[in-house]
Amino acid sequence: MSDMFEEEEFTTKFNGRVVMRVMQLARPHWRWVVGFLVLIAGTSILDSYFTYLGKEIIDDAIVKGNPSLLVRLLARYGGMTVLQAALVFGFIVLSSFLGERVQYDMRRKLFGHLQELSFSYYDKTPVGWIMARVTSDSERIAELVTWGLVDVTWAVLNITTSIVFMLTINWQLSLLVVGVVPIMMALAFWFRQNILVQYREVRKLNSMITGAYNENISGVRVIKALVREQRNAQEFGEKSGAMYRAAYRAAWLSALFLPIVQVVGALGTGAVVWYGGLRVEVGGMTVGGIQAFLSYLAFMLWPIQDLARVYAEMQRSVASAERVFSLIDAEPDVVDREGAVEIGGMEGEVAFEAVTFRYKEGESVLKDFSLHVRPGEHIALVGPTGGGKSTIVNLVCRFYEPTDGVIRIDGADYTTLTQHAIQSRIGMVLQTPHLFSGTIRENIRYGRLDATDTEVEAAAVLAHAHGFITSMERGYDEEVGEGGNLLSVGQKQLISIARAMLAAPDILILDEATSSVDTVTESLIQRGMAAVMAGRTSFVIAHRLSTIRSADRILVIEGGRIVEMGTHEELIRARGHYYDLYTRQFRRERERVYGMDDRLAPGASAAS
Amino acid sequence: MVDIDLRATLAKSRIVGLYHLMAGYKWLYLSALVAGAIGALVRTYYYRLVRHIVDNVLGQSEASGQLPLMAGAFVGLAVLEGGLFYIRGTWSAKTAEGITLRLRNYLYDHIQRLPFGFHDYVKTGELIQRSTSDVDAVRRFFADQAVGIGRIVSLFAVNLVMLIQMNPRLALTSVAVIPVIVALSYFFFGRVTKAYEEYQEQEAKLSSVLQENLTGVRVVRAFARQQYETAKFDRENFGKYRQGRRLAMMHAAYWPVSDILSAGQTVLAMAVGAMMAIRGEITVGTYLAAMGMVTWIIWPMRNLGRLVVQISTGLVSYQRVAAVIREEREDITTGDVSMEAAIQGQVTFDHVSFSYEPRAVLQDSESKKPRKRVKKADAATSDPAATAPQAPVGILKDITFGCEPGQVVALLGSTGSGKTSIVNLLLRFYDYQEGSVRLDGIELRSYPRALLRRNIGIVEQEPFLFSRSIRENIAYGAKGAVSQDEIVAAAKAAAIHDIVLTFPEGYDTVVGEKGVTLSGGQRQRVAIARALLKDPRILVLDDATSSVDTETEEQIQTALARLMVGRTSFVIAHRIQTVMDADLILVLDKGRIVQSGSHTDLIEQDGLYREIYDIQSRIDDEVQQEVAREGAPCVEGGQ
Repeated sequence: MSDMFEEEEFTTKFNGRVVMRVMQLARPHWRWVVGFLVLIAGTSILDSYFTYLGKEIIDDAIVKGNPSLLVRLLARYGGMTVLQAALVFGFIVLSSFLGERVQYDMRRKLFGHLQELSFSYYDKTPVGWIMARVTSDSERIAELVTWGLVDVTWAVLNITTSIVFMLTINWQLSLLVVGVVPIMMALAFWFRQNILVQYREVRKLNSMITGAYNENISGVRVIKALVREQRNAQEFGEKSGAMYRAAYRAAWLSALFLPIVQVVGALGTGAVVWYGGLRVEVGGMTVGGIQAFLSYLAFMLWPIQDLARVYAEMQRSVASAERVFSLIDAEPDVVDREGAVEIGGMEGEVAFEAVTFRYKEGESVLKDFSLHVRPGEHIALVGPTGGGKSTIVNLVCRFYEPTDGVIRIDGADYTTLTQHAIQSRIGMVLQTPHLFSGTIRENIRYGRLDATDTEVEAAAVLAHAHGFITSMERGYDEEVGEGGNLLSVGQKQLISIARAMLAAPDILILDEATSSVDTVTESLIQRGMAAVMAGRTSFVIAHRLSTIRSADRILVIEGGRIVEMGTHEELIRARGHYYDLYTRQFRRERERVYGMDDRLAPGASAAS
Repeated sequence: MVDIDLRATLAKSRIVGLYHLMAGYKWLYLSALVAGAIGALVRTYYYRLVRHIVDNVLGQSEASGQLPLMAGAFVGLAVLEGGLFYIRGTWSAKTAEGITLRLRNYLYDHIQRLPFGFHDYVKTGELIQRSTSDVDAVRRFFADQAVGIGRIVSLFAVNLVMLIQMNPRLALTSVAVIPVIVALSYFFFGRVTKAYEEYQEQEAKLSSVLQENLTGVRVVRAFARQQYETAKFDRENFGKYRQGRRLAMMHAAYWPVSDILSAGQTVLAMAVGAMMAIRGEITVGTYLAAMGMVTWIIWPMRNLGRLVVQISTGLVSYQRVAAVIREEREDITTGDVSMEAAIQGQVTFDHVSFSYEPRAVLQDSESKKPRKRVKKADAATSDPAATAPQAPVGILKDITFGCEPGQVVALLGSTGSGKTSIVNLLLRFYDYQEGSVRLDGIELRSYPRALLRRNIGIVEQEPFLFSRSIRENIAYGAKGAVSQDEIVAAAKAAAIHDIVLTFPEGYDTVVGEKGVTLSGGQRQRVAIARALLKDPRILVLDDATSSVDTETEEQIQTALARLMVGRTSFVIAHRIQTVMDADLILVLDKGRIVQSGSHTDLIEQDGLYREIYDIQSRIDDEVQQEVAREGAPCVEGGQ
């Protein structure tokens, strides 16, 4: 796929538009936002006030020897503490709730959008990429809305309240102390840049390492069978070694950053002691004042030190947000037209009128394709892989729409119908059937959600799936496992036939559904398919020629065109492509039956 | 590569296990902690300096000349403290990253060496999570949390000792509430860990609903089930939201209470200290220094709770990682037979019985209730049907047969009849429980697994390719370096060369998610080329051609035929026509051989073989009649 699915880099600059859009997410819950911002402001101001109280205790109570004032001040201090606790309680509740809520909303929105997106999106987007957007990225967006806001508010307020309180104590000294702030800022940003470069590397390597684990686990059978363990471990060692180096460099920079910041802070402390100490002598400064100054200095520098971390995290979240928004902004190619109608059912007449279709500009998969299918007609599609069979079927389902030309269902241009109208009337049995975690019963019922147990079982009986289901320990209540993995492919196919049977669609799509199963199961599947096809317009993509003989019409599709069309008899008589395909397989079977090709030896089948 | 065997580091207690994990880094890490402790000590001198300034310098004109020196002393202390913190930071990072590297490398190797008896029961995602996010949590344990605890302990101890030195009575009143804070945080730690685990489990549930929806997108659309899916997702999503709120409430209940306790402590110390200062029992400087130190006694305790929570998740993660390490590897190199032994390919099964033993995996040693695990057939391999025990309980009963080198044995039977199990035994993916399997007359258990696997090639029904270049995929199983010519020769023999050349980057084309998607038939031919280069003595072919079109099938058959020359071959098949040429056909049903012999023998007998044969030949007859009816020539022509 394209580079867009590589682990994205951080954006180089803060994208204000994206931040605004993220903040919009919190808008429905603005009361919570306002609430916790007020609360965090309260805690920040109280923190500064505690220091101020500490100064008053020293200067007014201790130095002046006033025990009753001490009691009053301490009582105030205690009271403020309780207030502070209440504020903290509220702030934790509101910000966490908001974070969870935004995450919930985001995921809900993403999932809903994913249900709308067209197949062209899924064709070019790896599932893992989408998963990461819905899981970790939406979590990070929620962090931006909550902790991002918390950190910024807290930092701004800490700095301002500290400065305000310092100014009230001694304005000259305040100006002197504030002088270290720009130095601190510059340092923080320099380190941020460099640490960020390392983190970017770490993240890139981390996703490579996750990928390596994934392959190691999914491919374990091949690895074992090919005895590749040692070489794999060596190759992995190179990746993890690179990760070690990048992570260590990042940690080293961080370890260097804090001490340097501390030393710069100490310059401020030195200034307070030196200048402040001189002022105590001449008046205008007190012992408590110096102590308070030192505390405020620490208060102010803390958020600045933290700036690098906060900024990096926010950038990460913004990058996450950009990716998530790119998913949300992806427009479905296939959308319901204005005034599209829902219909209850259809006859099943399908017409392609001069349909051209291309996935990419310049590469037509179907060219000027016309076909008229009568209600109840069984169409078989044969031909080489990539010839356009699947495209025809995808167009019928309206997973894609024609680039040119019209597809009509029951005579009406199908873009005048809603997608739901079409898709809810089309049944599908896929080559590799997909089941969902849950019981067999739930999987069959997927075809029609309001079906009773009796109807579910009746569908299974018609699909010839009832036999194997009842032979299972828990019958219809047997769990099928993740993706249906507890069942064999054949069993999954039988269930997917039963599912289609229950849906009772008007048009049926069967994609190579008879492959990779044993003969007994296959004959069950054949019978099941025949049953589900009965009386319905159907399109079968099949490679086994024996399974399509009964079709009303066979289409040989090659290079996006119908190269042959007709009944089995007609096509045999025509002695064209179909005849070749058919007789080749037939001849091989015959030869074997007569023992002419008595060994599966080199060249035996190559002769044909 | 892997420097120490991590299985040796396992211990009953998680803490002991983590300690052993530090092998080689213990002194470095200890030094980092000591540097931190000295840093804490340096900080107390900062308060002693404050005391000196307040009591002896400030407001005393004769001492004001000391002020520049005092200012310089502050900067000096900061430099010293910063240097120590730098040492603490880098050395602890070195330890943490070193241990992480060790864990990553070990787990990677370990996972690929764990037996199928393990992989059958564990979801891919679960294992990935343990190898990545849980390992990262262990990293954080060493990088942040253990260091943090060290910091808290040293700050607490150093400041308390200094305070006692200054004024024992004041010191005593400064620690009054601490037992309560510690008890509270301990209680909270227990509760929140459990809630956090549930929170994470809910996240996993949500992920799997999402994943199923995305991989099954065609089905969802085909049945127009978007609303139903949305509701399903919303259930899990909302569950996560609720769990998150619950977690938040626990935090919201704990922190303010802890705050009040800490502040109460501060107020108490201030009251006592201020009264003493007013009465002149201590100087104002001592009061200030004492209050500064009290902050550093209380602050660590306030943060103890947070660290304890983090450590608890770190410990849970370690436990989850340790559970993987604890799993027994399969030994691939030892056996009575030398690794250099040449294999002829004579195979004998003698009354072999086997069943898949359900087993509990990833038992987290310290957790009270082991998690319930669902048997998954085999999501770890690309094709469940071909490779997995095909029913929840796959079995083999009393299997007896034999074949000579170079012969073709066909395994025929319905899904779950035991065909794949026989192959699994042959490769020692599983070990048989009864009877005896002999290869070239020697018991199979005497062979090192690696020797067997090097000599047995498999072409799977839906082969797994790695997301690397086609060249690397073909060379994947070959011993040693492979030349371009050899790769091309194998690719030509497997009838994939021409197709590879149509890709823009030829043999360097990357396959898989980040590259080109190959069709089933193409993947299969790459796998055949891979097997050809491996040059095995014994070949296992899983019904290779059932999911491709006729033309491709012929190409594959040709390629397979080339591959089979001179090798003992086991062909798993569902169709008579693929097995009828075999030297020996085994008809399997419910884990037993119900019929065996050549095609001509079996066709004479009543039984499953003829039953299958009849079904298939009935189809053939109909085909034949139909073509005949249309006047099409049967045998001649079409060359």
